[in-house]
Amino acid sequence: MFHKFDLGGVTHELWLAPTVNGYHLHILDGWSGPVAFAEEAAGHGSLTVAGTSKAVAFAVDGDVIHIHMRGRTRSLRYVDPLRALASVDGDDGHNVARAPMPGTVVALKVVPGDAVTAGTVLVVIESMKLETQIRASQDGIVERLHVKDGDSFDRDAILVTLSQGN
Amino acid sequence: MQRIVSLTDTRAQEFRTNDVHNRRLAAELRERQQAARFARPERDLERLRRQNKMFVRDRIQALLDPGTPFLELSTLAGNKAYDNEVPGAAQVVGIGIVSGREVIVHADDASVKGGAWYPLSVKKIVRALDVAIENRLPVVHLCDSAGGFLPLQAEFFADRYYAGRIFRNQSILSKMGVPQVAVVMGHCTAGGAYVPALSDYNIIVRGTGAIFLAGPPLVKAATGEEVSVEELGGADMHTSVSGTGDYFASSEMHALAIARDIVARFNRIPKAAVDHVAPEPPAYDPSELYGIIPKDPRVQFDMREIVARLADGSRFHEYQPRYGETLVCGFARLHGYQIGILANNGVLFSDSALKGAHFIQLCDKNRTPLLFLQNITGFMVGREYERRGITKDGAKLIMAVSGAAVPKLTVNCNGSYGAGTYGMSGRAFDPRFMFTWPQSQISVMGAEQAAGVLTDIKAKQLARNGERLSEPQLAAIREPILEDYRERSSAYYATSELWDDGILDPVDTRNALAIALSAALNAPIEAPHYGVFRM
Amino acid sequence: MAAISFPFETVLIANRGEIAVRIIGSLRKLGLRAAIVYHEVDAATPAVALADVAFKISGRTPVSAYLDAEQIVTAARTVGAGALHPGYGFLSENAGFARAVTAAGIAFIGPSPEAIELMGDKIRARNFVERNGFPVAPSAIEESDPSTFLARARSVGAPLLVKPSAGGGGKGMRIVRDLDLLEDAVAQARSEGQRYFGDGRLYIERYVEKPRHIEVQVLGDAFGNVVHLFERECSVQRRFQKIIEETPSPALSAQMRQRICETAAGIARAAGYRNAGTVEFIFGGGEFYFLEMNTRLQVEHPVTEMITGVDLVAEQIAIAANRPLSFRQPDISAQGHAIEARLYAESPERGFSPTSGKVLMLDYPHEQGVRVDSGIAQGQSITTAFDPMLAKVIVHAPTRDAAVAKAIRAVKDVVLLGCETNAAFLARVLADAGFRSGEVHTGYLDENPTIASGIDGDPDEVTGLLAVAALVTRPVRDAADAVPALHAAIGDWRN
Repeated sequence: MFHKFDLGGVTHELWLAPTVNGYHLHILDGWSGPVAFAEEAAGHGSLTVAGTSKAVAFAVDGDVIHIHMRGRTRSLRYVDPLRALASVDGDDGHNVARAPMPGTVVALKVVPGDAVTAGTVLVVIESMKLETQIRASQDGIVERLHVKDGDSFDRDAILVTLSQGN
Repeated sequence: MQRIVSLTDTRAQEFRTNDVHNRRLAAELRERQQAARFARPERDLERLRRQNKMFVRDRIQALLDPGTPFLELSTLAGNKAYDNEVPGAAQVVGIGIVSGREVIVHADDASVKGGAWYPLSVKKIVRALDVAIENRLPVVHLCDSAGGFLPLQAEFFADRYYAGRIFRNQSILSKMGVPQVAVVMGHCTAGGAYVPALSDYNIIVRGTGAIFLAGPPLVKAATGEEVSVEELGGADMHTSVSGTGDYFASSEMHALAIARDIVARFNRIPKAAVDHVAPEPPAYDPSELYGIIPKDPRVQFDMREIVARLADGSRFHEYQPRYGETLVCGFARLHGYQIGILANNGVLFSDSALKGAHFIQLCDKNRTPLLFLQNITGFMVGREYERRGITKDGAKLIMAVSGAAVPKLTVNCNGSYGAGTYGMSGRAFDPRFMFTWPQSQISVMGAEQAAGVLTDIKAKQLARNGERLSEPQLAAIREPILEDYRERSSAYYATSELWDDGILDPVDTRNALAIALSAALNAPIEAPHYGVFRM
Repeated sequence: MAAISFPFETVLIANRGEIAVRIIGSLRKLGLRAAIVYHEVDAATPAVALADVAFKISGRTPVSAYLDAEQIVTAARTVGAGALHPGYGFLSENAGFARAVTAAGIAFIGPSPEAIELMGDKIRARNFVERNGFPVAPSAIEESDPSTFLARARSVGAPLLVKPSAGGGGKGMRIVRDLDLLEDAVAQARSEGQRYFGDGRLYIERYVEKPRHIEVQVLGDAFGNVVHLFERECSVQRRFQKIIEETPSPALSAQMRQRICETAAGIARAAGYRNAGTVEFIFGGGEFYFLEMNTRLQVEHPVTEMITGVDLVAEQIAIAANRPLSFRQPDISAQGHAIEARLYAESPERGFSPTSGKVLMLDYPHEQGVRVDSGIAQGQSITTAFDPMLAKVIVHAPTRDAAVAKAIRAVKDVVLLGCETNAAFLARVLADAGFRSGEVHTGYLDENPTIASGIDGDPDEVTGLLAVAALVTRPVRDAADAVPALHAAIGDWRN
């Protein structure tokens, strides 16, 4: 089973192979060759790819690895196979509306118990100085509001849970 | 250790002829293996897709650590049986690396007859578990079998080494502290239900995995009870109610990820301590084996030329080079591990047998695993040799081979006949692994001699009735016998019947032996002790 | 300006983030005490840590706390502040607040409430400027008669710019090219104006195609002295939000520069303007029109400071302390070229959506001639409660080319891990051929969307990233280390 990293929404599969002289990186359908990383101080190190070295600053936050290299900062997420594969369709008849971006709640348009149809505006959020309407993706009953007026939230936060109306 | 100086002339006509011939044999082997692994009727593959199941090869690929080898065993089991309709005997078995651990993978191939167990399937599974026991290798079972193939039940159910042996071996493994994980990816019914049940850990895949002693139709017939597969033995029920299942998996990939995580928890048992140094590739190109192995199997060749293309640095410390010259003995290294090699350079005489028995005892004392390279027509026969005790000297060699506590590996490089098979650690002598090369033959005697003997008997019977056979009539009797004999002494027949662990392309031999040897060293090596040597 | 005495000892900063840190810097230099108000989400920010005294305020949302004039005046009284610096944004251009501060006996470091009122209302400001003989954009109209507003808007003709009368900073602004969409745009702008500024009145003017945004920094004291400190060009914008600013503008000839700067000073003089201020112009087709005047310190003020050597915040404080300007126009000269790049917590690659996270590592460039005005510190959480600007990277070099090169180096050297920023995008803009040749306008980024989306086609970069990620991720490394040496050496082999 390959290791998976998500970089900007693209999943890359790879593995490391130990060799007598360190590690070989194998990127599935991509580059492979010798790699080395020497951590010189906390969060700072030198990456050597196929004999060429460059300075790297990095920080690890859970499964997310933030890397500054060659004047750019990127973040990768290690996709833990046990977690990623565990719940392919684990919503159990529930449907949630998630925040497409971080922001604050401007207005709640529904209350628990409301029957909604796909497309009904559930919440109005403000982000990037603009208002965005969060709509129901399917018909259902509002089961729970996870935010209140004025709350701020991160990307992918659950805003509203709908249950499937019978 | 001295480097072997190869005397092979790679520009000679003979070399080139052999090379063409043996490369063709290797290509044929690859083709047959490829077919056994992948050629399936479209309807079977379509059924797997419909059931949302992965092909067995993809399951194994996902289970293994990427970038690591998989030594598949008995790929061509069953290739001469059941009209060649049960490729691989519907089983995939091999040694691979899962979460850094050497394990035996045993997988039902549901693309072949729904993964039904045929007699040779049972034999292959039992052998896989024997390998696990002998070498203390953890086992990952990927279960997806329709159950035993009932029309042939008499050939796989009742006897000592039949299906019951699978569950006995599983129990013994557990008793030895060698863990097993079963991933239930299809129905495990009746006997098959015990594979996950007797595994220390098991995982059931939601929807497709189920475990029960009797499936819904049999339950209805027996008790009238109507019950669904899920209710009767599905993942949810077994992991939350019965406790027959340990882990609930959302998908096959999830199950394999859990299996990998379980294997990652296994203790690493230190390997048997044998002498080891940094490995070194052979100094001679192993692909030259193609030019060295004679096209005509009756042509003698120097086994040192083979050793030069298997051993680290082509270095070989030959023992008693001037005595018993038809059995070459000596020390070499394989991927850094010291091994003792016994290789045939002709028929076994008393002195060769004595030298071999002595060398085996040396290696056993030394904790040096043994490699037998067979090319043996047998022990020398005749009055003179019997008077010199060829039989008792052969008995010494067989006694030493049988009693050696160090792991033995055997490769049939060309031919293995009669008592020579015994003296050179044939299958019956429990070498940990036994491989063959494509053109090799194995039988009690050579095909020509056997056909001759049989034709002679037939002719004598007829002569007693006053009949006399013309040469064409004799040929008509001899040819079918010869043909049948050749067929049944071929490497393909031997491997079909699981007389070995698989046919190797000669260039793969070094890696296969290294993986096998590494696996063998998982079991501790007992102190040397033997039966009575007839002096 | 060393060793002058002030009629106050403590200055309350009614702001947050980088500008609060910036103001504290000047207060320190002047020997004054820095007090600050803060909402609890900002408790761990450098501004609060650096201030001599910090006063906690609250509100329904963090932003509303900083907009609460009453709490802030109470805070100023409580900490004994003799003056109050509003920074930019929030209450900085709120005349009522300036009055309340003054009424509390606290010096407001800003213009008179009347000047704020005059310039804060775009329609009044425009009329004032026009009346005094300075150029204004054609066909601008005022919502004096709501019933005919739409009809009059239509008569201006497309393209139009709709903006809230009380607005600023690009909030609620919309371009209308198709008059059929005018009604919708008006409704949306009104709703946003109402929410952001509590004032739904709108203002419409002819939109200049490919316009450049050029503004002039002015300073006026209480004695009628007004000087300008040259222009800044802020044409690199996204949705009317400035991203990169520079001075001098590459678009102006010497004569045009003189004309535009003198016009700005003239407007300020006509308004009797006191404090630092910025007169903004639209420049296009060889002409410039008055856009608006910002009666406060601008975000991009540091580029002016870099080329003139004037500390604008210190000058603001001196002016508020009723001191005359210490220099006259001829005393002010510009040296070299300065560029500012704004570091935002946003993802240009994902449509500029805001980002959040915890600052796990923060390291700014150290090169000489590089100044970083930052309001964040390592360990701090970045939320979307406020404007996403985190810091400004300002460079100064003898020539524009050298400044551009230095700016590229500087933004690439910003190490901020834990919250995605626009740093790579800034580098792309600075390296863009159009920017380098000075051929930009306020719509430039919209016309060149690939600058924002980025080109993620560098496989070497991806390889490097994956290599680091693999080598620092324990499960990946552990899996590699677990493979027995023999099997690793044999590799991906099948028999």
